[in-house]
Amino acid sequence: MSYQDQPQTKRASLLSWLDRRYPIVSTWNEHVGEYYAPKNFNFWYFFGSLALLVLVNQFITGIWLTMSYKPSAAEAFNSIEYIMRDVEWGWLIRYMHSTGASAFFIVIYLHMMRGLLYGSYKEPRELVWILGMFLFLVLMAEAFMGYLLPWGQMSYWGAQVIISLFGAIPVIGPDLALWVRGDFVISDATLNRFFALHVIALPLVLIILVFMHIVALHKVGSNNPDGVEIKKYKNEAGLPIDGIPFHPYYSVKDSFGAVFFMIPFALIVFYWPEGGGFFLEPPNFEPANPLKTPEHIAPVWYFTPYYAILRAVPDKFLGVVAMGAAIAVLFAMPWLDRCKVKSIRYRGTSFKLLLTMFVVSFVVLGYLGTQPATPELTKLAQIFTVLYFAFFLVLPFTSVHEQTKPVPERVH
Amino acid sequence: MKKIIWILSFSASLLALPFAAQAAGGPGIELEPAHNNLRHADSLQRGAVLFSNYCMACHSAKYMRYNRIAKDIGWSDEQVVSQMAHGLNKVVDEVQTRMLPGVAMDVLGTEPPDLSLMARLKGTDYIYTFLRAYHQDENGNWDNTVLKGTSMPNVLEGIQRHASSEDYAQAARDIANFLEYVGEPAKMDRMDLGWKVIAFLLVLLLLTYVLKKEYWRDIKH
Repeated sequence: MSYQDQPQTKRASLLSWLDRRYPIVSTWNEHVGEYYAPKNFNFWYFFGSLALLVLVNQFITGIWLTMSYKPSAAEAFNSIEYIMRDVEWGWLIRYMHSTGASAFFIVIYLHMMRGLLYGSYKEPRELVWILGMFLFLVLMAEAFMGYLLPWGQMSYWGAQVIISLFGAIPVIGPDLALWVRGDFVISDATLNRFFALHVIALPLVLIILVFMHIVALHKVGSNNPDGVEIKKYKNEAGLPIDGIPFHPYYSVKDSFGAVFFMIPFALIVFYWPEGGGFFLEPPNFEPANPLKTPEHIAPVWYFTPYYAILRAVPDKFLGVVAMGAAIAVLFAMPWLDRCKVKSIRYRGTSFKLLLTMFVVSFVVLGYLGTQPATPELTKLAQIFTVLYFAFFLVLPFTSVHEQTKPVPERVH
Repeated sequence: MKKIIWILSFSASLLALPFAAQAAGGPGIELEPAHNNLRHADSLQRGAVLFSNYCMACHSAKYMRYNRIAKDIGWSDEQVVSQMAHGLNKVVDEVQTRMLPGVAMDVLGTEPPDLSLMARLKGTDYIYTFLRAYHQDENGNWDNTVLKGTSMPNVLEGIQRHASSEDYAQAARDIANFLEYVGEPAKMDRMDLGWKVIAFLLVLLLLTYVLKKEYWRDIKH
């Protein structure tokens, strides 16, 4: 009896019609219905799906913003105020987008922290980590370019400062900065190209990278808080004993996580959209003025750790190098950490101390980056810059000799 | 238990994160709290009239239209035209300054800024303090302690001289209040909507929690 002769419900027959032409069932099963994830995910494992949620939020609100936004130096600032006042629900769309930008970095930083805690970058997940790092890099570019679009004072001068950094590169620097800006100063030309990159080019790259990040993850399988491979123990059907299908178990759990996340998000959108001057900076309520430099230029909070590193180095070019290195060195994590044990639960004191030092340095540098560079604070930034890099320099040596605890065979 | 601690510390860190800074005003200037309230429609209405009479000779609030102001602070279209526009504008007009172009540059040597976003840029405390910070030296020259050497004259001088100090403070408060409204006309809308959204999310949170519990009953740890 062929499949045509079988009595079928309408829905089943539609599905089989589609499935003969497109791998719906197998794709669904491989990535959702029969993707086996460890059953012991904890709180830290919400941030992957939350990052996806924020990405969708940015896409949808972003599309609606572009319907009323005007990417020109003469009109950009006015069009934002038009959105805030005259566009139906414009204020909500705009606040969701601006809050979403900060939320994205909070979620991504915690998502990366999870990777560091449980060794999710280690064999066989090196590519998952590296694709994630590329995502982080593109996200930073996306956020930086988006920040110019409101065309406020901080948009303008922040971009001026950051792009001028390219000028510090020997030989090609000045021409490179000119090429990026498309003008001798930040201008209409810069705004237009940043708009193009922010709404088309970089989101496209983000989507592709997210897809690859997830494909790579599903190829090797998810890590877990115990850092043990669930694929080691399988039942008669060849399924991991300690794994559970992503759907429905993690789809319902992540729904809970999504709603949990949306509550503080809504609190900020509705009651604290400026985020104390960190999510929307007060000087940005003044239109860009190329003739008037603000007394204190600080990047948005999610860039301040790197900005503090940049300022901590006395030489401008070496500062740029240090700032780049602070991000680049994270790519090498899978090879810098040579300990075989993945999860912090079973790792030695040296790793716990080093990781604490790294996190503290990151937070302190983040704070220092928001402050004016006084001599005392610069000294402090130099100390914590050294500690930041010390994590990556010391780790390869300590991780080989680490006194680890016995790792359980199966997850708890 | 451990989980709850994690969750609480996460929420706390989310909220505590940006509590470090944001001090408006120049260095070393103590700003007086404006204590204005956007819910007081009468204060907003007084503020609108004061703004029209004392500020609009030089300043604009160009992102606002008269009919939007009327709708938000409880006036009819006719009222806003008589109270704020003195019959000179239509209700659909933007709130522009009455000063002719170029005059400010000639007389004051500067272009008075648009005030639509001043409250968001500097804060209402700044506006309240600034308006009341004018003082006269022995030669009779006015200056302002918040913004030294400002080109702006002491526009509230008449009220400062002839009204009670409470009325003088209230006038500055009403203007600050009106400018806070002008800075973000949707502010009250969002505050009225926010708690409903959050209440809905709390119900949804409970439902998703129960759903998760139910699905996970058969998973043994």
